[in-house]
This record gives sequence, C-alpha cells and structure tokens, in this order.
Amino acid sequence: MNCELAHERIVTAAYGELSDELTHELERHMAGCPECQKEREQLLALKLLADANPVLEPDANLVARSRLRLEEALDALPPKRWYEWLAQRMVNNYSSLQAAPVAACLLLVAGAGAGSLGGYEFAQGRAAHAAATMTQPAGAQPQPVVAAAPVEIANISSIVRQPNSGMVEVRYNQVVPQQIQGSLDDPKIRQLLMVASENSASAGVRDDSVGLLAAECRASHSCQAEGIRDALMVALRYDKNEGVREKALKGLEPYVAEDVRVRDAVLEALLNDSDPRIRTAAINILEPVEADTSVRQVLSTVANSDRNPHIRTVSRQVLSRVPEIQ
Amino acid sequence: MDGPKSAQERMQARAPEMELIREAQGGSRAAFDALVRQYEQQVLRLALHLTGSEHDAEDIYQEAFLKAYRYLGNFRFECSFYTWIYRIVTNLCLDQLRRRKTRREDHAVILDHSGDEIDILASVSDERSFSNPAKELDRKLLGERIQAALTKLTPRERMVFELKHYQGLRLRTIGEMLNTTEETAKNTLFRATKKLRTQLAGLR
Repeated sequence: MNCELAHERIVTAAYGELSDELTHELERHMAGCPECQKEREQLLALKLLADANPVLEPDANLVARSRLRLEEALDALPPKRWYEWLAQRMVNNYSSLQAAPVAACLLLVAGAGAGSLGGYEFAQGRAAHAAATMTQPAGAQPQPVVAAAPVEIANISSIVRQPNSGMVEVRYNQVVPQQIQGSLDDPKIRQLLMVASENSASAGVRDDSVGLLAAECRASHSCQAEGIRDALMVALRYDKNEGVREKALKGLEPYVAEDVRVRDAVLEALLNDSDPRIRTAAINILEPVEADTSVRQVLSTVANSDRNPHIRTVSRQVLSRVPEIQ
Repeated sequence: MDGPKSAQERMQARAPEMELIREAQGGSRAAFDALVRQYEQQVLRLALHLTGSEHDAEDIYQEAFLKAYRYLGNFRFECSFYTWIYRIVTNLCLDQLRRRKTRREDHAVILDHSGDEIDILASVSDERSFSNPAKELDRKLLGERIQAALTKLTPRERMVFELKHYQGLRLRTIGEMLNTTEETAKNTLFRATKKLRTQLAGLR
C-alpha cells in the first residue's frame, strides 16, 4: 500500500466506512510510516475542529413559521384536474412498462414450460388409458369413453354409485346413425316407415313415409289393421302437415267401408280438420258409406253449420243423394 | 450488517409510512401533512446548517415540500422516501450554495439567524494556534472559522462533507441522494477534508 492510497483510506476509516480487512492492512502500513500517522492526526484534529460548528435543532418558531407558510402555499394550489391525474398515471405506467419486456419474456418462458409439461402429462395420460383399454379382457365390463365417441347421447338410463369408492356407473344410450335398404314389403322397412310417419321431426320425412304407406294400402299390399292402417289414422288425426294428412286420408280410402275405425277417423277429419281440401276429400271418401247413420249425422252437421260454404254445399249434395241410393 | 431479517424488519417498520405515501399519492392532504411533520425537522436542520441562514432554510423547506407534493405521484418506492426527500433537499441546497458561491466568491461571509452578515475571517487572527484551539479561540469564533472554511469548498464537496460528517449518512446513501456512486462520494469526501485542512492550517 502506498501513502496516497493510505491517505484516502485514513479518511474512510475515520468515518467508519473501511472494512475490517482494509483497516487491518492500513494499521500495518501506518505502523512503519510516520507521515501517514501525521496525516491521521491532522484528520482527527479536523474532525474535532469541525465539531465546533455543531448541527443545531431548528428553532420551534422556525418550524412553525415554515409549516404555516407551506400550508398556505398548498392551500393556494389549484386542485389537480382529472386529466392531470390521468397524465401522471400514464407517465408512471410508461415507466413501469420499461421493465415489461423482461417480465414478458419471463412469462413467455414460464408459459411455454408449463404448456409443454401439461401437454406431456396429457399425452402420457392418454397413452396409459389407451394401453389399459387395449389390454382389457373380452368379458370385462366395457368402459365407454364419452368424449371421443362420435355419436350422440340419447339419454341416461341409470346412475349408480358404487359403495365405498369414488366410482360411479352410468348407463346411457347412444344414437348411432345407420341406414338400411330393402323392399317396401320388408317388415323392417315398414316398421321404420311407420316410426317415421309418427315421430320424425321433419315434415318431408313424414310426408315420404306416409305417402309410401298410403300407396301400399291403396295397392292392398298387406295393409293390416293393426299396423299400417293405425299409422295412417294417427297421421290423419294428429300430423301438423296438411300434405301428410291428405296422403294418409287417401291411403285409408279403400278401408272406409270395411273398417269402422277408419270411418271414424275420416269423420273426425271431416268435422275437425283445419284444411278445407282435406274435409272435402273426406266427404268424397265417405260417399260409399254415406247411408251409415254416423256418417249421415256428421254430414248433416257439417251441411248445416260448417263455416265453409263449399263444404256445406258438397255435404248437402251428398246427403240429397242418400234417398236415391236407398 | 444488513441481513435478510433486518431488511424484512425495515420493511415492516416502513409499512405505515408506505401507506401514508400511497394515501398522499391518492390525493390525501392529511397524509401528506403527516409526511411533512415526519421529515420537517431533518429538512430544516440540514438546510439551516448548510446555508447558515434561517431565511434560506425556510425557503428550501418550502420549495422542497412543494416539489414533493407536486411530484409525489412519480415516487415508485424504488428507494426510501427518506432518500427521495433528501435528494430534493440536497439539490435545492446545492443550488443555493452555487448561487451564494458566485455572489460571494472571495468573501468569507456568513449570516446569523437575523440575516446580518458577519465576516469571520476578518475577525480571526492567522497567528493563532491550531494545536490548542480551546485556549486561543472561544467555541463560537472557532465555529465561525469552520463555517468560513466550509464556504471554500465546492457546493458538491460541501454537501458530501455535510452529509457525512454532520448528518452521519453512509457514503452509499450519499451517492444515491446525489445521483452518483459510493466511490465518487468517497473521493469527494477525501478532497473536501484535504481542502478543509489546507483552509484551517493557518490556525496552527
């Protein structure tokens, strides 16, 4: 250590800013250096002398006077306007944004890491599940996977929680789209057509199915009372589409004479159907059985009180022919 | 030494002050007044000792706290409020010392509390001994001689010596307040002591 460096360190040591190690080094230097010892003495003398100019506590009057003056100045300041607050906030935010790139990079790295880890865990889970499904014995209870199934869930038939475990058994039905081809005489096809005539949400499908069933009946192809005829009567009574009802009515035409239930269905259509064309068609269909009491009653009711003048006229015409026929 | 525990304790001790600062930043005048009361003694003490004038000290007090009020929104807790307010005060004091230095370059003149000027050097004999000052000068005159020697320092040297010797701050804190490094503050202190010794050598 040279004396110049020692002089600097004497100052820092005198003010308690020198580390223990450097202080020790300084002491060793000064032990053999009278000039540096003198330097230290002079510095300590300066410190002593400087204390002759002590720091005094401010006078209470000075404090009170200063505070009063400050309060007056603060009171005189105009209140900050909203845009000043906003500007200050923006300046602060801008300053904090200066550190944003680092934070953004850290977030990006952390996000990428978490994403990779999550993806890896998910892939592991799926692989394990696939392996478990593959190795499952043939007789074991199938464990359906709902999420991956391409079919719709029709309904849930039961939910049973297995005792003393977190396992739950859910029985459900799936809607699996399928198709079938076959002859109109095929019972399966007919069954599907009858289901379609009653349940399909699409008027077009109902129209097609009822049309086909009606054509079968008109051709007298196995139009059993319990099967197709029932389906046509239901369509005539309840279908919302007049086209469907009209086809059903035509399909039922050959059975008006022999089947009382068909006759009643046609009479109901004559009385209640909202479409005049169907009611008119019903009158025409009923002609073979117009002498029937129930038919005559309905015809006379319609002839007297139907809102539609055409239907009233047609009904009267039919009724007027009855005596001649008899 | 500052361990993590002491740092945590310091943070806990500062919590009420930080709350006051946040309230003041939100526009609370009462919170700002509380901060003023917390620091006004230290501000006045420093300004008074540096300028030697009550009038100047009062002006510095006024200007410092008005600045603090105006720019409190910019305080982002990156340093202590103590360092921040001291930075404002030391800058104002430095401006004041610089103005005075250009005004009275060659006059060792100080002001008493009533504002009257006293030329100390003119009243102190150069033949008096530095080795036994108590015998040669009474304490008041010696103090005035010291003040005269201090006026010979540059404003920055004067400030570093003031903050280190009289206010007892760490060199690192002084560096922060003066927007410089600890090393620079140390070198400035060294220069200041050397100059002061030269100035006061006539007393030997």
